[in-house]
Amino acid sequence: MGTGLLSSAISGMQGAQIALQTAQHNITNQNTPGFNRQRTVQTTNIAMLTGAGFIGQGSHVSTVDRMYDSFLGNQVNSAQTTSSELSTYYTQIAQIDNMLADPNSGLSPALQSFFTGVQQVAANPAQLPSRQAMTSSAQSLVARFQGIEARLSQMYEDVNTQLSTEVATVNSYAKQIAELNQSIVIAQSSINQPANDLLDQRDQLVSELNKLIKVTTTTNSDGSFNVFFGTGQQLVVGAQVMTMTAKPSTADPSRFAVGLGNAGGNQELPESLITGGSIGGLLKFRSESLDRTANDLGRNAASLALTFNAQQALGQDLLGQSTGDTNFASDFFKISSPTVLSNSRNTSGAVLTATLAAPSIDGRYTLANVAGTYSLTRQSDGSVWSGASLAALQTTVQAALPANELLVLTGATVAAGSSTQVLSSAADSANFYTKLTNSDYRLSYDGTNHTLTRLTDGKQWATNASALPPKTFADLSAEVAGSDGFSFALVGAMNAGESFVIRPVAEAARNLVVNPTVAGDARLIAAGMPIRTTTALTNSGSGKISAGEAFSGFSATSLPAAGITLTYASGTGLLTLTGVPAGANISVTVGGNTTVYPGPTVPYSSGTQISFAGVSFEINGILSNGDSFSIVKNTAGVSDGRNALALGSLQTQNTMSGKTASFQTAYAQLVSDVGNKTRQIAVTGEAQLALLKQSQAARESLSGVNLDEEAANLIRYQQAYQASAKSLQIGTNLFDTLLGIMS
Amino acid sequence: MRISTSQIFDAGTLGIQNGQSGLYKLQNQLSTGRRVLTPQDDPVAAAQALVVTQTRGVNQQHMDNQGQAKSQLGLVDSQLSSLVNVLQVVRERVVQAGNTGTLSQSDRAAIATELQSRLSEIVGIANSDNGVGEYLFSGYKGNVRPFAVDGSALVVPPATTKPVAYFGDDGERLLQVSSSRQMAVSAAGSDVFMNVKQGNGTFVTGTGGNTAGGINQGAASVDAGSVQDPQKWQAAINSFGWVAPTNPALQVRFSVAAGVTSYQLYDVSGAPVAISSSTPYVSGQAISMASTNPPAATVTDFGSQMIVQGQPANNDTFTIMPSTKQSLFQTMQNLIGILTSPIGSSTYTSTQFSNDLSAELTNLDQSFANIARVQVQVGTKLQEIDSLGSASSDLDIQYQATLSGLQDLDYAKAISDFMSQQMNLEAAQKSFAQVSGLSLFNYL
Repeated sequence: MGTGLLSSAISGMQGAQIALQTAQHNITNQNTPGFNRQRTVQTTNIAMLTGAGFIGQGSHVSTVDRMYDSFLGNQVNSAQTTSSELSTYYTQIAQIDNMLADPNSGLSPALQSFFTGVQQVAANPAQLPSRQAMTSSAQSLVARFQGIEARLSQMYEDVNTQLSTEVATVNSYAKQIAELNQSIVIAQSSINQPANDLLDQRDQLVSELNKLIKVTTTTNSDGSFNVFFGTGQQLVVGAQVMTMTAKPSTADPSRFAVGLGNAGGNQELPESLITGGSIGGLLKFRSESLDRTANDLGRNAASLALTFNAQQALGQDLLGQSTGDTNFASDFFKISSPTVLSNSRNTSGAVLTATLAAPSIDGRYTLANVAGTYSLTRQSDGSVWSGASLAALQTTVQAALPANELLVLTGATVAAGSSTQVLSSAADSANFYTKLTNSDYRLSYDGTNHTLTRLTDGKQWATNASALPPKTFADLSAEVAGSDGFSFALVGAMNAGESFVIRPVAEAARNLVVNPTVAGDARLIAAGMPIRTTTALTNSGSGKISAGEAFSGFSATSLPAAGITLTYASGTGLLTLTGVPAGANISVTVGGNTTVYPGPTVPYSSGTQISFAGVSFEINGILSNGDSFSIVKNTAGVSDGRNALALGSLQTQNTMSGKTASFQTAYAQLVSDVGNKTRQIAVTGEAQLALLKQSQAARESLSGVNLDEEAANLIRYQQAYQASAKSLQIGTNLFDTLLGIMS
Repeated sequence: MRISTSQIFDAGTLGIQNGQSGLYKLQNQLSTGRRVLTPQDDPVAAAQALVVTQTRGVNQQHMDNQGQAKSQLGLVDSQLSSLVNVLQVVRERVVQAGNTGTLSQSDRAAIATELQSRLSEIVGIANSDNGVGEYLFSGYKGNVRPFAVDGSALVVPPATTKPVAYFGDDGERLLQVSSSRQMAVSAAGSDVFMNVKQGNGTFVTGTGGNTAGGINQGAASVDAGSVQDPQKWQAAINSFGWVAPTNPALQVRFSVAAGVTSYQLYDVSGAPVAISSSTPYVSGQAISMASTNPPAATVTDFGSQMIVQGQPANNDTFTIMPSTKQSLFQTMQNLIGILTSPIGSSTYTSTQFSNDLSAELTNLDQSFANIARVQVQVGTKLQEIDSLGSASSDLDIQYQATLSGLQDLDYAKAISDFMSQQMNLEAAQKSFAQVSGLSLFNYL
């Protein structure tokens, strides 16, 4: 009986000791990341059966439990991965937000001071200092574009660097998980008890991994974990580890893409597969916000340069030079051509080049003669007009066409019962506005047709080899030039499956410069118009001619050296134009209706607007017989600031996105979009953080160490130990009593 | 709910951090005075602020331009005023010179000498610059001296010197003075000095010489004539197809037979053709210009009339031509030429002198009227600038208010927020200090 008491007391002391140790373990690990509090599970020993019934034999510790709930753990992991994705995104986009926010360093002040410079030239075109002020303000505008672009480029670099380090960390975690898998399998299989601390470590690693990228786990029967990401891409399988890579993308070597290393080399993964965690955040930031900002900035730079150059080309500089003169600088800004990236897997050697193009009109029409009645069909949309004669049809059609589209039918020959193709021309064939978008494009080839995809919204254009007539690659290019502001050409043939990425404006802000010729000689700014008009002093009528302007299509050949003379004959009411370049059609607009005449005579009424070969002017008033006007070269017109005024008005004109936005509103749109996105990410991030805190609290509530609780446990088990020790003493006393009897 | 020790610490630090970041933002807002620190604070306001800032900048540019326009136009205006002063003196002298009864030939020569120096003065005004080396009245050709004696051109009688020619152009220098208004801030020399209609502005009358040869021999003088119906005039000259100034248009021929003076209208654009029947002449009675049938095939009414006074000699004629332009310089030179011609001979009668002088006086008045027209234009523009200027200042204040509303801080609200945030933080700190001090170990 005494021995029973002793063994029972010892089992109690052992149990209390283990419990005390566990409490101590909990106390020391209360700040260990991933530690789940443990507790001992005590069970009674098998009782001894006697005649008096079952006599308890004390207790033993059957196992040490960790207070862990995998559901709560998964909840924390999932909240964690989204939260760290958002916080990474936020950290990055906040940099752009801050950069755009600064009232002094943003684009706006530089844009404003540049146009102030232009206005000064308009006010004092003959003054060199005002011209020099304009070139220097242009240079600071360019520097501002480049400065903002440089910071964005730096952010691309930063994303690459961060991707590399984070992918390296993912690999290191994956390796540790695989090692822990092995240790856990070995540890648990030998004694069939949970290896609590190893499990904690492994769970902690999975949690850390989730901060970098969203992963899911499955548990194998031997207790090891498999770790997957994306749509089931394996990262860890038991003790096996795959290597995640961050390498230059095949489509664009300047951006790193995440891939998986395998036996065949490196398999690049689509960005859509990589979600969650800071890696997901970085990729999302780059594709959603950084690309958008860089392209928007580039679009602004390209549009500014293209429209400004188009207007500069119509002017006349201080030296009296205009378009066509050898030393005339028709470009005020220089920009780069669109960037074209050949996929590094392309093998055919085909070369794609892209060019920024002025918005154009798809001016293909079919003119048919059905039994003397003419009908005209626009091929782009199938609109039909008809008329009894070519002249009648011309009038009907011209009234229906937009003001900048010119279609000449007079002189077309089409026999009855047949049809022919006629082409219209654009009155403004230069970049007086742009249709550039803030997107990149991908050109791919499936072996039959080429397809161009706009990457921001997935809009596609494709050639059609089976249509009649087939839609060719050149048609595709022309179509895109009309709608998105760039054209492209292919040298060599692509193989099926090959692709190119076209980034029309991505590098425009970086490569924007003031034309060095103009920067070096401010006299080359085309502040004046190349033409002026004069009224003959001998006129006895009250007719007045407007100052006249050059528009697109003007060239040195538009005006003969002697100028163009208009003489009025009262008998016929016609103006005779002398000196108009051969073959130039003369458009006469009265009250908004345009009629085209082959020349040299046109009818006159007050308010007639006449244009030909890039020259346009208006005559008002009553003319007497023999009254004459002339349009001559603006020789020595140094004080003429008309073109500078036109350049200055570009500031407030809607010159971008197909005449829907000015430079400033387009930039404001960017600022607003970035601000909205930042705000959205910040708000979602906060909500996600709250969710994370809640799930962490739920987990902590179960698994976290409470020191007061452990203090109580210490006392409890100390007392249990003391009680068992007392039992031992009593047992010893009993034994001593027995021995005393014996002696 | 079971709470772990680390939760107590986490919650405490989170509360303090939230309080601090809120305070940091408020402090930033208070120190900059801006409600919108970065676009994310209010993306719509941030974008609007950019657009309004530009609009305000453009408006300020227009105000600058208005200042420029004002000073340019002011220069033009003051030059025109001095021109008017000179012309007034000239006119007085010319009127004085018409007094043939009291002035001798040498008196007229003295006046001619004075007019010569006035002409130089006018050329000087016409060639004035804008203070930065650009000529005021040269159009676009700012660096080209607009007026000079043209050596290559022929002398046109009665002027005795070579004509002053215009080397500028018709260009008007423009400034953007408001978003929708480009204002011409210069007047082209051609418009001010050259673009002056002769005669009454529609047609010019003059002596046509005696058809028998030489000048008019009678004592009749002609006035400048007047237009009753401009539309009839325009229609009539268009139907005649005259091209000024190569051929005179209409002639009034006088015939004196048996003590009766009568006149007849001739079309002299080609070989002279009589176009009206002979009408008896009464001195001082209006001669209306209209063809009659016969002799003309159709009746054409010119809607105009002229008055001849005095007794013409047989075969004396007066011509009527559509007005063309005669420069102020030409008028001055003509006057000098007239004044230096000796009168009293049969080749240059005193009546001829009076007719010539009054024709040129009419031309001088046309110059006056033309300059007054330009002056009124300049004055109207100056007025317009003043009203544009006050509109622009109003707009500027408006834009400033809009901007302020978009991005400026409401201090009262921000300060009260700051206080409440501060209290929150203090409470978080205090409660954290107390809760973290609670531990069972303190009692063991």
